[in-house]
Amino acid sequence: MRTFFAAVVFQALVLRRLADLHALITAPLFTLALVSIMVAAGRADLAAHAVLAATVIAVWNMALLVSGEVVSGERENGSLEALVAAPGSLTAVVVGRTVTTTVVSLLSLGESALVAWLVFGVRPQVHHVGVFACTLAATVVAMVGTATAFAGLFVLARSARTFQNSLSYPFYLLSGAVVPVALLPEWVQPLARVVFLSWTTDLIRDSLGQAPVPDAAARIAVVLGLGVAAHVAGLYALSRIVNRVRADGTMGFA
Amino acid sequence: MIRDHARVMRGALVSALADFRTIYTWRTWGFAWLARIIVQVAFFAIIGRLLDSPEKTRFLLVGNAVFIAVMVSMLVCASTSWERQTGTLPLLIASPSHPFVVFAGRSAQWIVDGTVCSSVSLLVLGPLFGLGVPLSRVLTAVPVILLISVSAYCFGLALAGLVLRKMELRNLVGNLAGLSLMVFCGVQVPTSFWPEPVQAVTSVLPLTHGLHAVRDLLAGAAADRVLVSVGWELCVLVGWLLVAASTFRWLAESGRADGSIEYGE
Repeated sequence: MRTFFAAVVFQALVLRRLADLHALITAPLFTLALVSIMVAAGRADLAAHAVLAATVIAVWNMALLVSGEVVSGERENGSLEALVAAPGSLTAVVVGRTVTTTVVSLLSLGESALVAWLVFGVRPQVHHVGVFACTLAATVVAMVGTATAFAGLFVLARSARTFQNSLSYPFYLLSGAVVPVALLPEWVQPLARVVFLSWTTDLIRDSLGQAPVPDAAARIAVVLGLGVAAHVAGLYALSRIVNRVRADGTMGFA
Repeated sequence: MIRDHARVMRGALVSALADFRTIYTWRTWGFAWLARIIVQVAFFAIIGRLLDSPEKTRFLLVGNAVFIAVMVSMLVCASTSWERQTGTLPLLIASPSHPFVVFAGRSAQWIVDGTVCSSVSLLVLGPLFGLGVPLSRVLTAVPVILLISVSAYCFGLALAGLVLRKMELRNLVGNLAGLSLMVFCGVQVPTSFWPEPVQAVTSVLPLTHGLHAVRDLLAGAAADRVLVSVGWELCVLVGWLLVAASTFRWLAESGRADGSIEYGE
């Protein structure tokens, strides 16, 4: 647990580089782009969809580009050897750093809401605060799990940057961030349902409405379940990486 | 002198192609990059369905498909820094040719990539989103998309000349500039949506006039109307090319003066 908290603090310290905060810096522009579409169409009531989409883009982006590079970054620095040889667990380090990045990335929600309010005077209201808060907490857990999987996969991949670029918009679409999954083409909907963000965005949209949120607990459990599944896959990938680089002598990459 | 510049430019283009072939294989370009681009355009176009407006769907489809050309061309901002990171800048500045000639051709792969990705997404998604424009008319838009790509490339090159002094900002500056063009230059909403001072600025930025031309072309507008917009886009292109040349001249001269031309980072 001490290793985990040390990793949380460490990531907070290194997360000051502009390159790592890229998604937070570009979030206001995505908000402007998306909210302006709704406002220009006379549908300011849909601005919440746009704010949510800008947030999903920022959170997913940081998971891909920052959390996803935690292990490969250590390898490039030449510090992976020391990390694996140390008594502390590599998993605790990866998860701790990813938790910090994910929590920081959620600042984009406030950022996007603020931009929508300041520029367009649009203010999404949360009617079901409990569901909203629980959904955000479950999303952090699921995103950490998913980012752990990225951290593993990107080390195994020959060209991580190509994967990072390719995993952006397809997932924004599947997450139902702007357009709810129910409005996507029918053949896409089953794919979207295995992406935890599609459950998250539906829950958040419902929590903004006045009507009661149906099956909230079960839907939050699905978010958590999908996140845990990704986490297990991520841990498996990490253990494979460590075994592989130990076996072929490529631990020291720098 | 022109022949020398042409020879240097040819060398730069060969490097650009080599870069592109290192970054992508045909498989990763087609199945990963191009597929992502098509989904990006679909992501925005499908908002028209949420708004229940076929007209908005078409507007978003065309705007975002054409924006791809800009987004990809703006990668020049990042890739120009790759050259400096290899430590060749002192040699380029000491050589008889001007470094701008090298840098102008060094990232030209993005112009081709952007034009192809943009055109393919328009061709593929047009029928799916009910664009209702004959293939022949879509194909006539390709040269205008190429012009927009070059125009955005010159804009990105001007920023790259500035970013070479602060290379850690290369991706951020390129992305912020590209996204600003997406927001204000008529991609998601008409430029008239924004306040007049913003419209004045967008009139000297790449994409604004070119996108007008593409929209007019696809709508079957009169040729002279399309040509006026194309002419304005061409003026913007030339303007940013001159600005880009000055930023590189400034980089070389100030670097000589303060000794900041070093071998790599």
